[in-house]
Amino acid sequence: MTFELFNRTFFIATDVLFAYIVLIGTGLGVLYLVNRANKWSVIKDYVTTTHHRKIGVLYLLSATLFFLRAGIEALIIRMQLSVPENDFWVFQGDKFNEAFTTHGTIMIFFVAMPLLIGLMNVAVPLQIGAQDMAFPYMNAISFWLFLAGAILVNMSFFMTASPNAGWTAYAPLSTAEFTPEAGNDYYIFGLQVSGVGTILAAINMIVTIVRHRAPGMKMTRMPLFAWSTLVTAFLILIAFPVLTIALYILMFDRLFGTSFFSGESGSPIYWQHLFWIFGHPEVYIIIIPAFGIFSDVISTFSKKRVFGYTSMVVAIVIIGLLGFMVWVHHMFTVGLGPVVNTVFAITTMLIAVPTGIKIFNWLFTMRKGVIRLGTPMLFAAGFIPTFVIGGVTGVMLAVAAADFQFHDTYFVVAHFHYTMVGGTVLGAFAGIYYWFPKMFGFKLKDGLGKAHFWLFLIGFHITFFPQHFAGLNGMPRRVYTYTAEDNIFIFNFISTIGAFMMGIGTLFFVLNIYKSFKDPDKCGNDPWDGRTLEWSVPSPAPEHPFDPMPQVNTVDPLWEAKRNRGGKLPVANTSRSAPIDVTSWQPVSFYGVIMLFSLSFIYHVTWLQIVSGVMVLAFFALRTLTDEHTRLAKEGENHDNV
Amino acid sequence: MTTYKSDQFGDKQLGFALYLIGELIMFATLFATYFLFTPSAINPTPSETFELRTVIITSVCLLSSSATIHYAEKAFEKGKGKGVWIGLTSTLILATAFMGFEIHEFYKYASEGYTLTENLFLSSFYILVGLHAAHVLFGIGWMVLLCYQYPRIPTTSYGQKQKIFSYYWHFVDVIWVFIITFVYGPYLF
Repeated sequence: MTFELFNRTFFIATDVLFAYIVLIGTGLGVLYLVNRANKWSVIKDYVTTTHHRKIGVLYLLSATLFFLRAGIEALIIRMQLSVPENDFWVFQGDKFNEAFTTHGTIMIFFVAMPLLIGLMNVAVPLQIGAQDMAFPYMNAISFWLFLAGAILVNMSFFMTASPNAGWTAYAPLSTAEFTPEAGNDYYIFGLQVSGVGTILAAINMIVTIVRHRAPGMKMTRMPLFAWSTLVTAFLILIAFPVLTIALYILMFDRLFGTSFFSGESGSPIYWQHLFWIFGHPEVYIIIIPAFGIFSDVISTFSKKRVFGYTSMVVAIVIIGLLGFMVWVHHMFTVGLGPVVNTVFAITTMLIAVPTGIKIFNWLFTMRKGVIRLGTPMLFAAGFIPTFVIGGVTGVMLAVAAADFQFHDTYFVVAHFHYTMVGGTVLGAFAGIYYWFPKMFGFKLKDGLGKAHFWLFLIGFHITFFPQHFAGLNGMPRRVYTYTAEDNIFIFNFISTIGAFMMGIGTLFFVLNIYKSFKDPDKCGNDPWDGRTLEWSVPSPAPEHPFDPMPQVNTVDPLWEAKRNRGGKLPVANTSRSAPIDVTSWQPVSFYGVIMLFSLSFIYHVTWLQIVSGVMVLAFFALRTLTDEHTRLAKEGENHDNV
Repeated sequence: MTTYKSDQFGDKQLGFALYLIGELIMFATLFATYFLFTPSAINPTPSETFELRTVIITSVCLLSSSATIHYAEKAFEKGKGKGVWIGLTSTLILATAFMGFEIHEFYKYASEGYTLTENLFLSSFYILVGLHAAHVLFGIGWMVLLCYQYPRIPTTSYGQKQKIFSYYWHFVDVIWVFIITFVYGPYLF
């Protein structure tokens, strides 16, 4: 759309204009509602918090918002592809590239990751008997770094510079020669900043789990969600630094004129290696926590101890290890040779073994259990067949020779949506329904939850099952249209219908949250007849929830207490000291500074780079000069002197 | 009170060790990049670029600074305030000297036409050694803060901060040893 202003002609794409109107409209609406309800103190409370439950809620809230945004993009993509040679709105050519790029990037990094990290924040400390995360302040920093990265990638659209080289940002397309606009710089800095936040979050998780367990909570007695969190955190710690460096090098290519990934002597394949050495562990990073959630949910809702606890733990660890040995299966068609392809095909197929063990263990947990089909359990039950389909197509794709047919078709698209939506997203929904009472003290409505589940699950299968066939018929991914002769119209049309069904399902989820807040069903501390420690503490979880500290003598300690001790957990004699919770404006200010820093690089403003760079460094000084441990030690010393 | 301190400090030690593992992987990736692109098809080659003299001087500065920070730590444990000052300031001086020579080295290479974009050997050299230099620079800022804090904060708090810093500093040193061995070494000795 072009318009006249001050005798000059301006151009703005209508989708961006529309997005501005929606954003400003809802923004003002939210401001008005917050002001009317006088909730500024709540907002301040959350913005300055370092408490694990509140940070978890912040992660989940932002992830839900980004889920809506990237979901709308999915609908736009499906609209454009619904019929042959379609011209939906402006989404052809490069606009389409932007839509699938930001859809993928946001869904992986700013939806799947924060949903899971948010649930970890809420549940893991409570599950293992920790008073908070080991480093509460750093936890807040992690969140704000994540949000800074997420906002950067999200705002690129509003600056009419969305990244457009796919979520994998393959070189040389992602280098400045072919995409000189700011879009892929937003990608680099958005992922870099949030990646640092994720690494810090992983360190926090590991230290919490290793050092903050309740007395008697041996590693072999931890709930499986805590176990999966621990394995995930190690995967993050090892995989994300590789992404950090890959982006660092790409940044040099784009901003400082090097040519690692393009040109005569550069190597585009090297980017693929780096990206997938990170990227394959990444997909396990977002599925393993979901496995943990399902294990806990299925065990609780079957009223049975999880079947094969040890094999479950061993399976997670093996999946984690194998996750680093399979990255070339994304690159079978690159031409690395039959030996390399064979090795990686075998390691990839091996992963089906521990995953299969887990599937059978879940089924055996349910067998002869007292199954209650609450909403979390529905999501868990829906996950199992869905994920099995995704696993089977995964093994098909692992056959390197066959992959030459499947590669970069909708068959792959169908496969990874079956694993990521069928695994991660269903897992996150199960987790949200399951732990919602621990976050707010009331449950989400069961009726709306069931509507959400059925619409979402059926819509999901309608969307993605036909895509297998579209792919087998030769439809490549990332194309914005096809012809009637391609024989893929019907699959695409069905797929579009399913996508809207998923969209409606998601609206039920949002409606459910709204209704549940409007008319909360207070449900006490233990609404699901839980088995693990988090259900022994008040809802919503307070600061210092474990008072007195329980002594853990078994897996599922609360269940044991209910059976043998009238629900009273034995009290521990000693316990370690708790982390120190503070409230501070520093993390959110750091968010502002890091945004400024990133933007100064994206738009090449040298003086601002220097100024904001100094400000970033100054924050380290500010932190070390004001940290709460030293302050308390000082107060203690003064106290002793008096 | 004592348990509180050791608990919290143990968390920090483990957390920082994990952080260094992450850093190690970052540097490992950069080393891999360097191996992949060096020597490059286009000149200059590493042997005509590198200069033994500066490498030796910078190495002496940085490697001995690991000893001086260790000295500061030992002095702190024995409660010798003077020893802490000597150890810390000499580390700071050596680090600053290292930075000076490193900047000089980069400047010299650049003025000889060996710049970042000349070829991929130089690109991968600069982004690896440059990132290491950035770590040294960060360490210098950190030491300045330690100097500022030493007389102002409780002794145990200072001791913990210094200990974490020394982990960092030894790490930076270890990376430098790898740089000498794998980046300069094959082309100089």
